Amino acid sequence: MNTESNDVLVVGAGISGIASALELANSGVNVYLLEKEAVVGGHSASFCCKATDVCSQCSACVVPDKIKEAVSHPQIRLLTNSTLRGLSGELGNFQVAITQKPQYIDQERCIACGLCTKVCPTDPKAIHPPFAEAMPFCYVLDEEFCLRFKGEKCDLCRKGCPTKAIKFTVKPKEQELSVGAIIVATGFDVFNARKKGSLGYGRYRNVLTGLDLEQIFTREGYLRLPASGEEPKNIAFIQCVGSRDEDHDYCSHVCCKYAMKLAGLIKYHNPDALVSIFYIDLQTAGKGFAQFYEQYKKNIRFVRGVPVEVLQTASGKLDVRFEDISQGKVCKDTFELVVLSVGISPREQSWNLARTLGINLSDDGFFAERDSMSTNETNVDGIFIAGTCQGPRDIPDSIAHGIAAASKAVQILGQSVSQRRGNQGIH
Amino acid sequence: MEKRIGVFICNCGETLNNIDFDAVVKKVAEFPGVTSIKLISTLCLEEGKKKMLSCIKKENIDRVVVAACSPEFKEHVFRQVLENAGLNAHLFSMANIKEQCSWAHEGDVTGKAVELIIMAVNRTRLLQPVKKKKFSVTRKVLVIGGGFAAINASLQLSRAGLRTTLMQRAAILGAGTAEVESLCGFDINSMVSEVEGDENIEILTSAEMTAIAGKIGNFTVRIRKGCEEISHKYGALVVATGYQTKLALESELKSDANIVSQEKLCHMLRDPDLEIRPGTIGFMFDFSDENSRLPTLATLNNALAAKRKWGSEVYVFYKSVKVDSEGIERLYQEARDCGVMFLKSDISPRIAVENGKIKIEAKDVFLDGEINLACDVLVAEEQLLPAEETEAMSSILNIRKDSSGFYQDENVHLYPVTSEKKGIFIIGGCRGDLDISRVLADISSVVVSVYELLSSGNILAEAERVKADPQKCVACLTCIRICPHDAIQLIRVDGGKEVAEISDLACEACGICAAICPAKAITFQGYRDEEILAQVETIG
Repeated sequence: MNTESNDVLVVGAGISGIASALELANSGVNVYLLEKEAVVGGHSASFCCKATDVCSQCSACVVPDKIKEAVSHPQIRLLTNSTLRGLSGELGNFQVAITQKPQYIDQERCIACGLCTKVCPTDPKAIHPPFAEAMPFCYVLDEEFCLRFKGEKCDLCRKGCPTKAIKFTVKPKEQELSVGAIIVATGFDVFNARKKGSLGYGRYRNVLTGLDLEQIFTREGYLRLPASGEEPKNIAFIQCVGSRDEDHDYCSHVCCKYAMKLAGLIKYHNPDALVSIFYIDLQTAGKGFAQFYEQYKKNIRFVRGVPVEVLQTASGKLDVRFEDISQGKVCKDTFELVVLSVGISPREQSWNLARTLGINLSDDGFFAERDSMSTNETNVDGIFIAGTCQGPRDIPDSIAHGIAAASKAVQILGQSVSQRRGNQGIH
Repeated sequence: MEKRIGVFICNCGETLNNIDFDAVVKKVAEFPGVTSIKLISTLCLEEGKKKMLSCIKKENIDRVVVAACSPEFKEHVFRQVLENAGLNAHLFSMANIKEQCSWAHEGDVTGKAVELIIMAVNRTRLLQPVKKKKFSVTRKVLVIGGGFAAINASLQLSRAGLRTTLMQRAAILGAGTAEVESLCGFDINSMVSEVEGDENIEILTSAEMTAIAGKIGNFTVRIRKGCEEISHKYGALVVATGYQTKLALESELKSDANIVSQEKLCHMLRDPDLEIRPGTIGFMFDFSDENSRLPTLATLNNALAAKRKWGSEVYVFYKSVKVDSEGIERLYQEARDCGVMFLKSDISPRIAVENGKIKIEAKDVFLDGEINLACDVLVAEEQLLPAEETEAMSSILNIRKDSSGFYQDENVHLYPVTSEKKGIFIIGGCRGDLDISRVLADISSVVVSVYELLSSGNILAEAERVKADPQKCVACLTCIRICPHDAIQLIRVDGGKEVAEISDLACEACGICAAICPAKAITFQGYRDEEILAQVETIG
């Protein structure tokens, strides 16, 4: 029986996976877009707009458009809450086993009316809307807080749902897909800043990560100190937290620019705020960044040298000890808020997925490319990698890498079987 | 003929309690021109869509108003229902009675809901269908440039089955790629011979573009080769003209034989007959141009090569190393392990030539002191600049440049390889400072984008959504000047009059031309003056 398939499975619906899926679908390929979370978009959907009077070209606004396009594309079948469990077969004829977590809230039926959240008796609410830009905009249920998962008989949300979208009896769903090629775009983990204990993250409320700051701006639109609710006047950014150290032999590509752009945003909201950025080497390359850097040089203090210790004073301020390399001495400065520019780490589950798919990992823990001239291809024919699961990237580079992976898949599936055997690896 | 308008109202699972839906239905039903009105509890769900579809068919509805939530969420769902019912998806309006009415107000919410619906009805009555049409495209691509990106893209496009022309100004393909070759260790000559042997690829050297007409899918390009000029038709253009570097030096130092560029050093490293191996080499980067990655890449590669091949002492002066490219942190580490000395300095070192040696005076930030170094060869700092022809080409192609003069506007929605002009793509070093892995991603991206556009030979697109009326057009050129997508051109109609014509394929339906046309000759379906006025007058 000929089971050759020209469909493609994209694993991960972050910005690279979405870029891949859209490009494939627009080229006429049927796409399964697999996402382990309830909503698509991945990390890229949680970043804030960093525009001041002018656009700061952070690319955050590119994401919602792409998400919407992917979710409503007739040739993309979205499988949320789903993970890949097993794989067999080869290029042109892969069999993929998928497990879908119990879908307590039917995405097809949820109309996001909010009645369930109103009646939910727990605090915090066990059933709640996803974040504002989420797609599909379907309510989510937190098993951690829901009374039913604690053995109680609460049934308020199910009874109150006008479209009967909530079902507690559902079981995990297993299914098998036949696809011709697979694109892995599982993204990254944000470096866990608690691992750098001396910097105080998790201990001091006014030590945040860059991602926390992004989310504060997305949620509130302005910055206040988590501890006191006041507007911070003296802020430090510490670069290379989880990049370029003994455990991370790479630069995360994004932190210098997001730190400078966030610093610019803070200065825009409060021109009197003092912002310092502690760095090793400034990564200021990139399209159009020169003009912003000229501005930042004027109103941000750049200090060469990365602090090793943050201590909270009795008054709740933060003492930062650092070696000011330009002055050749150890100094101490006091700030109200310290932001750790956390980097991009490989996914913790990468190892499991690599084993399931039979693809290699690099020394850094990202998925390994076949060679430096083909960063989308893996050691397995027909399995491609896209975006930050292969190495650190910003949003535009992730989109480009995602489209490139789609290109490779389209090219290889467009060939006949005999051509594929004769012409492995198109560079 | 009387229009048959169907109004479908959704109460979002009976959650919009502050609207009296019975009153809404009664009021709207009385309004002239409403053929049918249905209140459906959850219109966007399968059962709701089914009811809507059967009602459209049964009652012979020819245009539809849906009163429900924001079009952001569900517009595409309802338009699909219209298409399934065989109606034109443009004969449709939405009234937002959820977010902009029920959720937003207290008081007479019902009254506002009725007004919103009647506004939509009045608009819908005037709507005109927009039909889809197949446009044929030329299945040929023009790739401009002769470097790594251009050659590689041509090969891949040809493999994807598209006839490709590779055109460059220089006489020899792949001539200026020594530096890139040393960076990533490939052999340009084998790529060149592959291109030359490919029947699907036509090569035009010493040739340049002098003019371009037409729009996406059907460009007519005038090409000058020698003293003759020819016209060719292409469906898409790929610009890959690369960048150039310039030594950032005072002019009296430029003539010194021992102060060289990275490219010159590459040639020296490859030269088997090189007489004297430089004992001490200095490198400089990141002082006058702090926003480029390529100088870091070139320095690390060349410093390592010089160390390994010649055993030279190598000193690198720099401000910040640019490690935000794949594998560069490791390369930086490797260079340090091999004994390349890295000296960070905040200000550019002073350079002087003395007794045939190059003296470098720098202030090192770690040592906090002056460093004096005499070296045999100095690889001077380079600035990355757009290729020479960029200025002229961007005005011929009518595409914008970024603030550093490279192709491609800084609009983030254009990345990675598109320009604001549909059908013209920009890849590689000519759109900015890209390392090899980014260039490879560009090449793959452009191949699939062009393939998507041209492979089938035609494109299905909406026709005449935005249209200029030849009777009213006075050829004032206002629309042609304002169109950000270069989608409008002048054509000659019967009687010799010149009028504006909008290309359906190039148009992005932004509506600027329709708003600005002083003769009111341009109409934008769905947003025509009468359609908007009909809504305003409802509540007037």
